[in-house]
Amino acid sequence: MEEKKNTANQAAYEQYLKKTHTLGRILTAAVLLLLLAAPFAIGLFLGAMPNLGAAAKAVLGVGLVYLVSGIVEYLIYVPMLGAGGSYLAFITGNLINMKVPCAINARDIVGVKSGTPENEIIATLSIATSSLVTILVLAAGVALMIPLQPILQSPALQPAFENVVPALFGAMACKYYRSNRWIALIVLGVMSLLFVFVPSLIGSTSMMVIPSGALAIGLAYLSFRRQHRERGDGK
Amino acid sequence: MELLSKLNSPFLYVLCGGIILFVAVICIVFAVRAYQAGKALGIDVSRMKRVITASATFAVLPSVGILLGVIALSGSLGTPWPWLRLSVIGALHYETQVAEAAAESVGIGGLSLSGMTSEAFATIALLMSFCIMWGMVLVIFNGKAYSRRLSAPKQTQKTGKDGKKKTGLAGFGDDAMTAMFIGLVSAYIASYIGQIISGNGLFKFSGSWLPLAVALVSALAMYVFIKLKEKWNAEWLDSFSVAGSMLIAMTCAIFLGKLA
Repeated sequence: MEEKKNTANQAAYEQYLKKTHTLGRILTAAVLLLLLAAPFAIGLFLGAMPNLGAAAKAVLGVGLVYLVSGIVEYLIYVPMLGAGGSYLAFITGNLINMKVPCAINARDIVGVKSGTPENEIIATLSIATSSLVTILVLAAGVALMIPLQPILQSPALQPAFENVVPALFGAMACKYYRSNRWIALIVLGVMSLLFVFVPSLIGSTSMMVIPSGALAIGLAYLSFRRQHRERGDGK
Repeated sequence: MELLSKLNSPFLYVLCGGIILFVAVICIVFAVRAYQAGKALGIDVSRMKRVITASATFAVLPSVGILLGVIALSGSLGTPWPWLRLSVIGALHYETQVAEAAAESVGIGGLSLSGMTSEAFATIALLMSFCIMWGMVLVIFNGKAYSRRLSAPKQTQKTGKDGKKKTGLAGFGDDAMTAMFIGLVSAYIASYIGQIISGNGLFKFSGSWLPLAVALVSALAMYVFIKLKEKWNAEWLDSFSVAGSMLIAMTCAIFLGKLA
């Protein structure tokens, strides 16, 4: 009797997973198309379409970095998030700073293990809930921001908005450099010398991310292999 | 200013809000299906309710941090577009970096309203959508196969420094991702150093120091956040550290800008 119930549960779960994949694929593709179409719709509204040549140039620079990062995130996080959770997490974003910790927190609270049907359900519930909360908080915040727009657009505040990127990179440098001091020091030193001696490269910083990233990954790989050898894993 | 009012126009709010609403409906559909499947599988309803409550409370603080990101980007990209990008798919550090690279490629120098044109904005918006779509593309084309492979009996795994089990590839995957971000951050910070020393001619030391100063203030603020988190064991501070450091540094930029 118990065995019969387990078989029925397993069949129902397989059916659920199959539909989750079908629905997940269709809806993810729909969101992707909407996100890619939106800039063209905005272009029509503004009377100027995207410059595809400039876009291609930027893709060669920073876009490649995100291709690699996207693949790595996909390989690492899908096992943690399950099928339904993965579709939702890749649609709604903010993986590292919210979705992954939230799903792990939920899993710990109810004590389920990765790869089990329970984990699949719990992760999907957790990510769907956290995404809805983000959407609601942002919608409320944006509604409150509308009356503040004249202040946000004042010339006095422009130096702040013109330095969003240095502000971001300063915070990230502190975060990433702390645990990788030598790699950071070498890469920053080499790149600084390059920009000082060839200042024309300053205007193409996004392209210089490629050699900078390659140098950092190369140094990280050497460090990774050395650590494995020291632990005896590399033999 | 005329462009910024267009970027904050009702059309953009409706367009971006419509997509966000669609994504909210998807979340509800997935949540309802998972809840029903959980009940059918015999998972205790009270446990599922606990997960919903815990996830909702967990998400509030990071969501406020993400809202600060919308505020940070709203001065250069208007409000609706950052609202869409940070509600769906994006994350503050991804969006800002891609927007900066796109701005550079379209020839406006950097992410700033002063040089922004309609064409530049449309291009930046396209780049922001395109560069960060790989997770979605992979999950569409490979998600089913990868999930099934993971459900198959597991092979021996190694244990990482943090105690989590990792495969060999994923073990270096974490390091590679961190290294890539170090490379990315270093390229930009090095360009600020190069700008000061040789920006107006080789070794003339007359370039703008404001971007480097803002980056240093932000790094210092981040360091304080990290130390406070460690001292008080306040994990929740993580949700605010990047956006908080950025806002502190951006506020300093208003005062430092008068000196530069």
